[in-house]
Amino acid sequence: MIETTPPQAIAARPAPGSPEDLAVRVRVLSVLVDDGSNTLSKVSGLIRRRGFHVRSISVGPSRQPGRSRMTLTIDAGHAETDQVRKQLERLVEVIEIEDVTGQLVHSRELVVAKVTSSEVAGLVSRGAKVLDSGPDGTTVEFAGEGKDVGDFIDELLNHGVLDVARSGPVVMRRTA
Amino acid sequence: MILEALEREGVEYIFGYPGGANLPIYQHLHEHPKLKHILVRHEQGAAHMADGYARACGKPGVVFATSGPGALNLVTGLATAYMDSVPMIAITGQVASTQVGRDAFQETDVIGATSSVTKHSYLVTNIAQLPRVIHEAFHIATTGRPGPVLIDICKDVQQADAERITPERLEIPGYQLNGHVDLDRAREAAQALAGAARPVILAGHGVLLSRAEPELRAFAEKAGAPVGTTLLGIGAFPVNHPLSLHMTGFMGTGWNLKAVQNADVLMMVGMRVDDRVTARLADFAPKVKTFIHIDIDSSEMGKNVRPHIELVADARNALEAMTPHVGALHEDRGLWLAQIDAWREEHPLKYTHSNGKLQPQDVLIDMYRRCRNEAIVVADVGQNQIWAALWWNYDRPGMFLNSGGSGTMGFALPAAIGAKFGRPDKAVWCVAGEGGFVMTAQELSVAVEHQLDVKIVLLNNFSLGMVRQFQDDFYGGVRSQSDLTHMPDFVKLSDAYGMPAIRVDRLEEIAPALDAAEKTRGPFLIDFRIDPEANVYPIVPLGKSLNDFWEAPN
Repeated sequence: MIETTPPQAIAARPAPGSPEDLAVRVRVLSVLVDDGSNTLSKVSGLIRRRGFHVRSISVGPSRQPGRSRMTLTIDAGHAETDQVRKQLERLVEVIEIEDVTGQLVHSRELVVAKVTSSEVAGLVSRGAKVLDSGPDGTTVEFAGEGKDVGDFIDELLNHGVLDVARSGPVVMRRTA
Repeated sequence: MILEALEREGVEYIFGYPGGANLPIYQHLHEHPKLKHILVRHEQGAAHMADGYARACGKPGVVFATSGPGALNLVTGLATAYMDSVPMIAITGQVASTQVGRDAFQETDVIGATSSVTKHSYLVTNIAQLPRVIHEAFHIATTGRPGPVLIDICKDVQQADAERITPERLEIPGYQLNGHVDLDRAREAAQALAGAARPVILAGHGVLLSRAEPELRAFAEKAGAPVGTTLLGIGAFPVNHPLSLHMTGFMGTGWNLKAVQNADVLMMVGMRVDDRVTARLADFAPKVKTFIHIDIDSSEMGKNVRPHIELVADARNALEAMTPHVGALHEDRGLWLAQIDAWREEHPLKYTHSNGKLQPQDVLIDMYRRCRNEAIVVADVGQNQIWAALWWNYDRPGMFLNSGGSGTMGFALPAAIGAKFGRPDKAVWCVAGEGGFVMTAQELSVAVEHQLDVKIVLLNNFSLGMVRQFQDDFYGGVRSQSDLTHMPDFVKLSDAYGMPAIRVDRLEEIAPALDAAEKTRGPFLIDFRIDPEANVYPIVPLGKSLNDFWEAPN
């Protein structure tokens, strides 16, 4: 008397770790937060507690006094991906969240590197800027999309890398 | 200033314990006779009392504790309230702001330790913040999805003098309430349920928190839909109602589970759809074509079950908006309700009482016969909790309190004490196993000190009954560390605290013992020595689906 339909609980997912899986699981969120002493630990504590994983995080002051802008790249882990945003929204410290994953955005990471070589024309031609130069080497900076920054770091290997510091991405919606 | 602010918020009771870092507050307590302070014997007791108080009367419970160990002793109580969305304000003393971070005496990062078990928390290092913080804290604790809020106040702030400041208008940009009902969705949901051949409604704690029982009943009756409740939703729908499915979940009634597993439209109101409700998630309600989920917390949507129609709103507002849109019911509705009646006949609640031993159900049935729905039952955690949930026909909210989400043993006695302070007009019965009872038994002092009419029904089976049952059934029959030998003589223990108690071993002694408890003013304990082999049924074996429930053996 009773017909059956397939279970409708949590929808099936692509194989864990596959590119399709990661494309769904990893979200980039631009988050406006209260600049309190507890905010960063609340945000990071929540991410840990819910089984999410931080791929990258950058924080800086926003235009509004007392508020900071966080750019989070978060892997939702075994949770449903919209949980990342919804759980963050529950924090009183979180004022506004924009999910900018796959949106038309500018995404920029910064890398500052020290190389032994003083011959850095190859780096400059890629868009790097020389910050200083001395007998022990040269300090350069480069900003770009994550993939370009990765390529730039590969290129650094040809110049005798001494040290590299790399930021997480900051994002901004495109004007057009 | 703190105490004045509490008066302004309408606080009547504070459950607390003084210590080095909150003494400045205690110094002025006597100047505020409107604030009645209940001195507990352990801070965990204070948190559960405030919790029981809030659950019973709906007002936020208030707790005081000192820094370090005092505050840390609250953690279990905060977690219990947080899991069950109970409004609470915990005010903890912190070392002086100049000492913070120097590992001062009794310094602990209380904010850090409690962030994951509070709805929000504040560290107050400056007196100027205080009026705003206290006002905000009450607002956040009691609105939306309620929960505990902790305010950690540095000792120098407690001592600071400041002009009386009335709190400014509330402005919390990061705290938005979801009150607005999407009317299109409400219509869609109402029509889906009315048009369903086999609808089921499940109601959770959110229905009680939004006081939506009349709206739920009106909607269910108009839509001709049967209603089950979660463990925490008990009281949201009268168990004696013809449409009642009683309790759902992995220890729910057989007819409830049959209905859920065969429903084509399932509406879940004010609930989290946790693993104790769904059992094996992949097999939960497998025939449902349309899941409807109503909850005030948007993060509950799709956390465990992805709804087809979601309404992020207060349960009462949502149900009120839906009822007018219930149109013609599906033609098979009569068949469905008849089928449920057949399941109710086929899978009644039953228990073994042929072995001559005292059965817990015998005790609860006699209690229910006396109290009906005029008493508040506060259960502990374990078998006693499920027996008290199933063997009582609750017909209104606030009559059954228990730690559902967190499952905190030791909850019942302090929560019952808190409930009695919150509802002095009601008889309060504390139902506990002996294992959980001894975890917070020191709070008997509070019941005796205030001569509270709290009647303690100990269902003493000389073991951690639920653990023992799980070990017997799901862990190869290996009884490991579940026998409770060397427990106190509970009659003597009560006597030591200065309260009367009796022991009951036989069926015919139940009624006289309950008579004595009812006649006695002040606290009273009955040590019911029940069948140590008594089990909870129905039960779904761990990891199995709701279809696989076991019933009591014949």
